[in-house]
Amino acid sequence: MWRDSLLVAGKDLRIEARSRVGLSQVAPFGIVALVLFAFALGPDRSLMARGAPGLFWVAVLFCTVLAVQRSVSIESGDGARDGLRLSGLDPAGLFLGKSVAVAAQLAVLEVVLGVGVVLLYGARIEVPWLIAASCVLGTVGLAATGTLYGALSAGLRVRETLLPFLFLPIAAPVLLAGTRVWQAAMAGGVASDGSPWLRLLLAFDAVYVALGIVVFGPIQESA
Amino acid sequence: MRYVVAGYVIVLTTLFLYGLQLVWRRRRLDRAVARVVRAPAPGPGPASVPAAGEPAPGLSGADR
Amino acid sequence: MSANRGVPAPPLQSRRGRWWTRGIGIAAAVATVCTVWLGLWVTPPDETQGNLVRLVYIHPGVAWVALYLAFGMAAVASLLYLWPRTRSLVWDRLAAAAVEVGVVFNVCTLVSGSIWGKPTWGVWWAWDARLTSTAVLLVLFLGYLALRRVPAEPEVRAKRSAFVALFAAVDIPIVHFSVLWWRTLHQGATVLNANLSPTIHGSMAWTLLLGFVALTLVFVWMLLVRYRIGVLEDWLGTGELDVALRERQAEGAAVGEEEAA
Repeated sequence: MWRDSLLVAGKDLRIEARSRVGLSQVAPFGIVALVLFAFALGPDRSLMARGAPGLFWVAVLFCTVLAVQRSVSIESGDGARDGLRLSGLDPAGLFLGKSVAVAAQLAVLEVVLGVGVVLLYGARIEVPWLIAASCVLGTVGLAATGTLYGALSAGLRVRETLLPFLFLPIAAPVLLAGTRVWQAAMAGGVASDGSPWLRLLLAFDAVYVALGIVVFGPIQESA
Repeated sequence: MRYVVAGYVIVLTTLFLYGLQLVWRRRRLDRAVARVVRAPAPGPGPASVPAAGEPAPGLSGADR
Repeated sequence: MSANRGVPAPPLQSRRGRWWTRGIGIAAAVATVCTVWLGLWVTPPDETQGNLVRLVYIHPGVAWVALYLAFGMAAVASLLYLWPRTRSLVWDRLAAAAVEVGVVFNVCTLVSGSIWGKPTWGVWWAWDARLTSTAVLLVLFLGYLALRRVPAEPEVRAKRSAFVALFAAVDIPIVHFSVLWWRTLHQGATVLNANLSPTIHGSMAWTLLLGFVALTLVFVWMLLVRYRIGVLEDWLGTGELDVALRERQAEGAAVGEEEAA
């Protein structure tokens, strides 16, 4: 399973490296989203700074949808998905591999967006390790659930409109928890206990990664 | 009290209308099933031509 | 997959089945009317909540149906479908019926809760755990229904929908907990909490119970009818286009017979 997952992850990331869709399209989209949020919230800088955690995570969520769409569309050419099934790859490995690839792209995006948020909204981070922890855990959760829903909607022509609608409510706890941790990280001092939220993220990740490993095979069969 | 009455009206009307819609759908489907059962499905398209040599008028365009 | 060639056995519903459905429907209607009569006229206003307590006779009822009965049923049915040993399209149809009826009750829950909340808390909506989870549940239900509309073989559609239901079932408790940690405004955990019991007594308690019973009966009736609709639709080959086509064809065949005669 691990070997297969590395294979798949490597393949997806190599495709990404060559086509650079993530860098040239998804990241700019994230930046545009941040700019639009700024327009929406008006010139009040303190409001933007306070809203920064939530806005960061909303932008990340939207970028996740794009990244997952991309991950699924890699195999939407004729027979590519069947080829993958026939290749004898362990479906759990396939799931982990694709999730890792998505997670890697998301990680890069989060760095970009994080810098954007700090620069554009004037957010001040007191406790950096909380930021890092929330991003790591949040990314794992988003990548896992995104890959699951991507597989579920893989063969459908309405995937573009259906996937966000199906996926985003499931991702809501990540948004909630991630935002709280960032707020704690920005507050510093006494209010900087983000650990219950980190535990929530951990539980979320554990549940969906485990679910994905078990369930990805049967999902593939019905695509 | 206005709120209470509004609440009751909205909830009960919604449930009532939905129930009505369910009954209507079921009735329509029952009729469709009855019609299909009464006149057995003519089979796949114009392939089944009656012996007279003329395709039955209702079937010639019936493409599935 | 039974393509409708020739005349396969039509999905006849037994007389007993039809009578049960009708009976439950009548019981549901009667119970609901009684609840309304008791709730709006017979019972006295509450000491603290005044007339608003009358909404408590229906709101927890629709909420229990939507959140636990309908959604729980859909989740269990989906699991039963996914489990190879119990796999049967019956569970898929049951889940679909439960979700559709559940959506309607979910909307009623949100509306009745909102109407109760406005005079009580002063706002139409509050972001507390229960309200938010209910709203997220509605969106998840709608996603399930949207996915079912996508044309597919029944088994494929069933499997896909079952997975979505499963993921939603896993997500709802997580959403609930996260929002609970976030804020809490809604009344305690259940209606039967310490806060409410001293004031709910006598005729009010009975009306509350009747409300639960009545709405549960309404749900069961709707479920039965909707399930029957599912059976008919599947037999006719899903979708109204197919129904219309078959009606057309049947008409055409009837006309053809007349003309050939």
